[in-house]
Amino acid sequence: MGSSARKSLMIVLAVVSFAGPALAVEPLKLEEQLPKLIAAIKPKPEESKWLSIPWETSLWTARQKATAEGKPILLWEMDGNPLGCT
Amino acid sequence: MVKMAREDFVPVAMDDWYQRRRKDAEGEFFRGVANQGPRKGDGGGTRQGVYAFTAGGKLLAYRNHGDPIIMRDEVAKALKKFNALPEAERKPGAVTVPDIEEAKLDKQYHRAPPKDALILRQHGRVLEKGDSGDMESCKEIPSGVRGIYSSRDMVWITADEWRSLVPADVKAGQTIELPAKVVERLCRFHLLDNTRGEPPMWSKEQIRRSAMTLTVDKVTPQQVTMTLRGAALMTTDADDKKADRGFDCTILGTAVFDRTTKAFTAFNFVALGDAWGEGGLDKGARPGRNPLGIVFEQVSGKDPADKVAPQAAREVGAYLGRY
Repeated sequence: MGSSARKSLMIVLAVVSFAGPALAVEPLKLEEQLPKLIAAIKPKPEESKWLSIPWETSLWTARQKATAEGKPILLWEMDGNPLGCT
Repeated sequence: MVKMAREDFVPVAMDDWYQRRRKDAEGEFFRGVANQGPRKGDGGGTRQGVYAFTAGGKLLAYRNHGDPIIMRDEVAKALKKFNALPEAERKPGAVTVPDIEEAKLDKQYHRAPPKDALILRQHGRVLEKGDSGDMESCKEIPSGVRGIYSSRDMVWITADEWRSLVPADVKAGQTIELPAKVVERLCRFHLLDNTRGEPPMWSKEQIRRSAMTLTVDKVTPQQVTMTLRGAALMTTDADDKKADRGFDCTILGTAVFDRTTKAFTAFNFVALGDAWGEGGLDKGARPGRNPLGIVFEQVSGKDPADKVAPQAAREVGAYLGRY
């Protein structure tokens, strides 16, 4: 281990050790914690129905697809892409 | 509504911040459609909403309403209008839409992932400790508090940055620091509470502590498996007890590098910690310091949704650490 890598790891360990008792949240330590945590954080099926819609993210591509398929375009335009921002 | 969007329309989701500004064929087409409705963007104002229109640019409907029933009925009316158009206007191939040359795209407001970038999808959610002691999604939140659902954003890590993470002589037990620019990008623009809308991003000075390190667990001729560990503290005041906004977190995850294709096949991690405070555009935070979890997962980049720019990439130079 290089000295800078060792220093970095020591900082991580120091922060993790230091952080424990003062925080409402226990520091992450074990990979076994992750699957349940990930499931708790990611969108639930009932929050994700709109994601079953095959959204395009280029208006021009949508135009090309619409004329090829003979369909109208449905544009959801927000300040922040609905698929990417909050 | 979902069925109509899937089957009867070509659905597209866009960021108005770029679309209303871009000076190229796509921007002109969009503004030509929007100008037929009430949101003409006078003075550069917002044109947010849901639009239905033909490939030729004829507006069929515009509405921006929070009630899903109203929106569903509006979209149904638009479909009826489309089907009533002369066949020459709506049949396949009725309009010719040529490709736009890359060189003619508005460089300032056309945003695409950097070439060969590692793309991560991010979800954040406010959490609470369940009866078992594990962190769980909040079942309910007090009146006046917002943001119970999972948030979204994207992360870009450039090809040079991710390639630097796996040295040619990689060995088990080795530790590799994430490049400073990547750590700064994650801290400033991604380790934040975006569950109630757009929060203020952290400044460089507001990163009080940060360290992110990969440890090589296993090396085979086919792949390298690594564990990502880290911790970060971002606060509005150097004294975190006085800071009105902050996030104090630890980070844990895994990364798998395919030595044959020389690419990451997994780069996934979780940040978990205490978040507090709110900004001007994201009011309604829970009082005090509360658990916040953020998941980052690598995506292939092939799905159109994978190409959505990170929210902070509006200032792409700052996002990529060029200044």
